[in-house]
Amino acid sequence: MKAVGLVVLAAFLVAFPSLASDPFVLSVGVVIASYAVLATGWNFVGGFTGYISLGHAAYSGLGGYATGLLILRAGLNPWVALVVGALVVAVLAVPVGIAALRVRGASFVIVSIAVVLVLLLVFQSWGSVTGGSDGLRVPRPFDADVLRPEQHQRFFHLHAVLLGVMLLCWWVIDRSRFGMGLKAIREDEDKARSLGVPTVRYKLAAFVVSAFFTALGGGLYALWFGFLDPIFQFSILVGSNMVLMSLLGGVRSLFGPLVGAVVVGYATEFSKAQYGDTQLHLVAMGVLLAVVVLFLPDGIIPALRGLVARLRPGQASIREVTQEELVRR
Amino acid sequence: MTGLRVEGLTKSYGGVRAVDDATVTFQHGRINALIGPNGSGKTTFFNCVTGMVKPDAGTVTYHGRDITGRPAHKIAHAGIGRSFQLCRVFPRLTAVENLLAAVRPGSVLRALAPARRKSDVDRAMALLTRVGIEHLAEVEARDLSYGQQKLLELAGVLMAEPDTILLDEPAGGVNPALVERIGELVRSLNAEGRTFLIVEHNMDVVMSLSDHVVVFDRGRPIASGPPDAVRADPLVLAAYLGG
Ligand SMILES: Nc1ncnc2c1ncn2[C@@H]1O[C@H](COP(=O)(O)OP(=O)(O)O)[C@@H](O)[C@H]1O
Ligand SMILES: [Mg+2]
Repeated sequence: MKAVGLVVLAAFLVAFPSLASDPFVLSVGVVIASYAVLATGWNFVGGFTGYISLGHAAYSGLGGYATGLLILRAGLNPWVALVVGALVVAVLAVPVGIAALRVRGASFVIVSIAVVLVLLLVFQSWGSVTGGSDGLRVPRPFDADVLRPEQHQRFFHLHAVLLGVMLLCWWVIDRSRFGMGLKAIREDEDKARSLGVPTVRYKLAAFVVSAFFTALGGGLYALWFGFLDPIFQFSILVGSNMVLMSLLGGVRSLFGPLVGAVVVGYATEFSKAQYGDTQLHLVAMGVLLAVVVLFLPDGIIPALRGLVARLRPGQASIREVTQEELVRR
Repeated sequence: MTGLRVEGLTKSYGGVRAVDDATVTFQHGRINALIGPNGSGKTTFFNCVTGMVKPDAGTVTYHGRDITGRPAHKIAHAGIGRSFQLCRVFPRLTAVENLLAAVRPGSVLRALAPARRKSDVDRAMALLTRVGIEHLAEVEARDLSYGQQKLLELAGVLMAEPDTILLDEPAGGVNPALVERIGELVRSLNAEGRTFLIVEHNMDVVMSLSDHVVVFDRGRPIASGPPDAVRADPLVLAAYLGG
């Protein structure tokens, strides 16, 4: 099941740019791929530990700025800047994680928002380094003779490769002892502690891995888009999008955030193209979130899996209880 | 000294002294019962010993090692396991996964090894068999009955290989047949050398199971001794009758 999905996905990712009819469709493809990378990055902490960060734009934004600034101010090669930038963000995530992961539930959500708001202020006001509210122009990594459609094509494939690496990491963690510990934290943190799970260390490790990948996603997007505006980089909306996409697809599923990103990304870009850049898509997203919470609390993928299981012949509609089990109950 | 020694343990919540200067020793190898009226601090005592909350004062020593205020997972690694008053399991993990979560990962590299390693799964299945729910290994814990969840919780505690086990009201809310079964499990685990501290209100269970009874009242032990002696102690009767 997973293997088939992977093959289909890989084939699609390789073929999409040549199937896309025009540069606009291609650019939407890149945007959706970027959403998928960011949501999957978010899910390393959200899906495994259940700590819902609404401020994950902090790490994509920092990744974007770190990449841009390392190219502009340190003269690094763009690809080196991308990786070094993400590593810097991962290091910064250590103290942030230590502070933020001390609190749970709604408090953690609020701390995560506070982080992104502080960064917004810093990057807006520290103009001499960050370009301030005027934004920062990030040089393109490819030569000028590489034309637009070709650029989109390359960036689509770069995003696809990054996504592949992230999915592989998520999969490895998902089936590991580390992953089992993280899931135990998600289910009942105090219970996990009492069984010997080093919860503080585990949460922090997941958080740093998440920040690293999210920063890579932010940096790659910066290289593609070529311009960073702090208002959009450090926006609660971007973080909420990662949460919505992951919840929609299913935070416990490997491909959940990806599926959510495709649905939300397609809907958003379609409505933008159709009705202009109104705030309408925000309303649509709100409605979508309500639908998910009310009708698909586990997300699309588990819902589909449940449907398939029910349609399969020979399955009893309710769990059969043996005589022995009844006695034991 | 082997065993668990608690000295001057104190923990307040606001104005309430939940545990108040408690001093008590639990010899290794016994089944100890902790009894006392509701609100006398038994659960808070467990929480302090297992590192779930930090005590305000006092020391906890285990096999001669000071473990006061250490992180809960370190205390678990030191060999103290516990169950919770209102049975706690990981609801969306299957029964066998509930046990695998208690496997100590070892090094960083080993932490990335598959959780379903054969030897770990075998050990988990053996424990599920021991408590009698091996047929439910791949059922999510939230789909188990309360009694089955209690058995699962006990198996999970055992998976972490503790040599001292704290049970908070193991007979609470389960049917008499299951109470019997849990009692047998405790006895056989004790025969293998495990020490128990059991908070329990069911006096039949306390009397039939324990070698040693400690009576809590208002945050501290007021009496201790063999079950029969404690039952006849006037202090105990007064505490229970609200004197
Ligand atoms: N987390 C807490 N916050 C505030 N008060 C608490 C807390 N835990 C316990 N208490 C108080 O401490 C006292 C002892 O409670 P507890 O340890 O649960 O007693 P027992 O387990 O013997 O019934 C009670 O008065 C209880 O209300
Ligand atoms: Mg209690």
